Amino acid sequence: MALDFVSILYIGALGLLLLGTFGLVTTTHLFRLILALALAEAGVNLLLILSGYRGGAQPPILGFGPQDMPMVDPIPQALVLTAIVIGVGVQALAVAAAVRIYRRYGTLDLVALKAHLEGDLARKQGIAPPKSAEKPAGERPLSPVPPRPQEP
Amino acid sequence: MLPLILPVVLPLLAAFLVMPLARMSALIARALGPIVLTTSLVLLLPCCLDPPAQPLVLAIGNFAPPLGIVFYGDRLALLFANAVALFFLLFWDWRGGNPQQARQDALMLLLAASATGLALSGDLFNLYVFYELAAVASFGLVSLSGTGPALVATVRYLLVSAFGSVLALAGIALLYLQTGTLNLAQLGIDPEPLQGPAGLLAFGLMVIGFGVKAELFPLNYWVPEVYASAPARISALLAGLISKLAVLILLRLLVLVYGDTAAPQILLFLGILTIFFGEFSAWRAQDFPRMIAFSSIGQLGLVFIAFSLSGSWGVLAGIAVALHHLLVKSALFGLAHRWSGSLQALTGSAQRTPLAAALFVLFALSLIGVPPLPGFWTKILVLAGLAQEGSALAFTGLGAILLVTAVEAHYLFRFALQLYEKVENAPAGFRSFWEFLPSLLLGAALLAVTLRINPVADRLRAITQQAADRSFYITQVFPQAAAHRKDQP
Repeated sequence: MALDFVSILYIGALGLLLLGTFGLVTTTHLFRLILALALAEAGVNLLLILSGYRGGAQPPILGFGPQDMPMVDPIPQALVLTAIVIGVGVQALAVAAAVRIYRRYGTLDLVALKAHLEGDLARKQGIAPPKSAEKPAGERPLSPVPPRPQEP
Repeated sequence: MLPLILPVVLPLLAAFLVMPLARMSALIARALGPIVLTTSLVLLLPCCLDPPAQPLVLAIGNFAPPLGIVFYGDRLALLFANAVALFFLLFWDWRGGNPQQARQDALMLLLAASATGLALSGDLFNLYVFYELAAVASFGLVSLSGTGPALVATVRYLLVSAFGSVLALAGIALLYLQTGTLNLAQLGIDPEPLQGPAGLLAFGLMVIGFGVKAELFPLNYWVPEVYASAPARISALLAGLISKLAVLILLRLLVLVYGDTAAPQILLFLGILTIFFGEFSAWRAQDFPRMIAFSSIGQLGLVFIAFSLSGSWGVLAGIAVALHHLLVKSALFGLAHRWSGSLQALTGSAQRTPLAAALFVLFALSLIGVPPLPGFWTKILVLAGLAQEGSALAFTGLGAILLVTAVEAHYLFRFALQLYEKVENAPAGFRSFWEFLPSLLLGAALLAVTLRINPVADRLRAITQQAADRSFYITQVFPQAAAHRKDQP
């Protein structure tokens, strides 16, 4: 079965969205997370554009091309323009914050940063810092077998 | 029409004027914010105290509704727009002396403008834009101090929030694919294409997406860390006000489009998960800001359970719970300004600050739902509604609410007892009276509502009647649609 052009675009949009979501769920590196977010946003923007697309129609500009041809729907295009601008702004903000975070903590790994955050907050509030997943919580357990008495 | 447009436009304009003005005169720049917000309040207050019989509808630029952008101010929207101006003035940084003063004022004004826009917009396109504007302004406000925890909390919040926006936008795209419009009233005229599985998927995506700000279950793990690392005034505004405006978007969608579908069941299910997650985490919390942050998640869960009830009862219960939470949680975060430390360190605070401790007990009693206080009436509305509903999931919700109320009572009373313990070195009191004036005023308001519960309930019923009426909303925006409908019975 041959796929037409629009179906391929739909599959591409959903693919980008799923790829971005997958990246957001599985990675912990801050910069990769921002890139995954950009992928997901691109997918959604494509999906929005497609929701107003009509095969063989004109761009929605008055006085451009023949008057009696159908036009594609301009509302999703306006919405996508807005969404792109917002997306770029948010990503720029995220990158700027990432730079400052790296200068302060020397890492961009979100798991490590979360541990720093919890520790800093605990210190600020004056409560016991949360237990680390890597280090053992207490003393090493005693061996069930008593140590052999020293030979004289 | 001025009350609809100026409270959005003026703060937006002033937000961008504050920074250049601050270079010329710090005094004028500092005065600008309060002046603008007071102007909005003066414009909006008459509409709220003595509401016009017909809602104010404004097609911006005189472009007729389905094409142009609509502002819709019924009693509910006007009430929330009013609350925005009032709460921003209440939690404004009057003290000054902050080196980032101008930036902070600009971001606060930006947040106020977008919050008012969220209350008044009648169009999904516009709602999305204002929602994003509110998100960006709140990122700035949370990270303004520039400390390590604030930056990390902001970035985690930003990633969740941006992912939520992607989901909401995907939902909007799906909705547009099936209907070809984003105007809420036009969606309400013919909601049938959306009542299939694809429409429900769109609703689910929008619930999870807009649910980020509304602290709804899957994407709310940013809440405690952001509220613990942001200044308490900002936490008060985000937890009290901004979360309610996200709830308002979902309420409009529910009333206008998804009332007759399985959408309320989705809300009920997510609400139950939210309430469990919030209250049990609050029980385990060790510091005051995070305890009330988690408790706020639990309360938002209650709001969503209330909105899942069918008919105008659900709208009434949901609005009542939301308004009660707006009052109480803002006031508690007002106290957190001083009580920012661990619960242990606050032992015996009542000795130096008896008034603040008494206020905490008042708010705690209302949150739990002890009879004469408004919290009791809001909870009983939800419980009675769930009992009438009678489905298995509704009874699960009823049991969940009763169970978490016990948990809530336990951790709130535990802390209240701690406050009144006798200790040698009582923690320092508030530096000045002004520091907890917002909480004091809100406590007085809570008591006033308790004493005059009947007039308030009547007013609330009038608000609900308008907000829960789908055809009323449609005929107000499209008068010709009503005539059209009469032609074909």
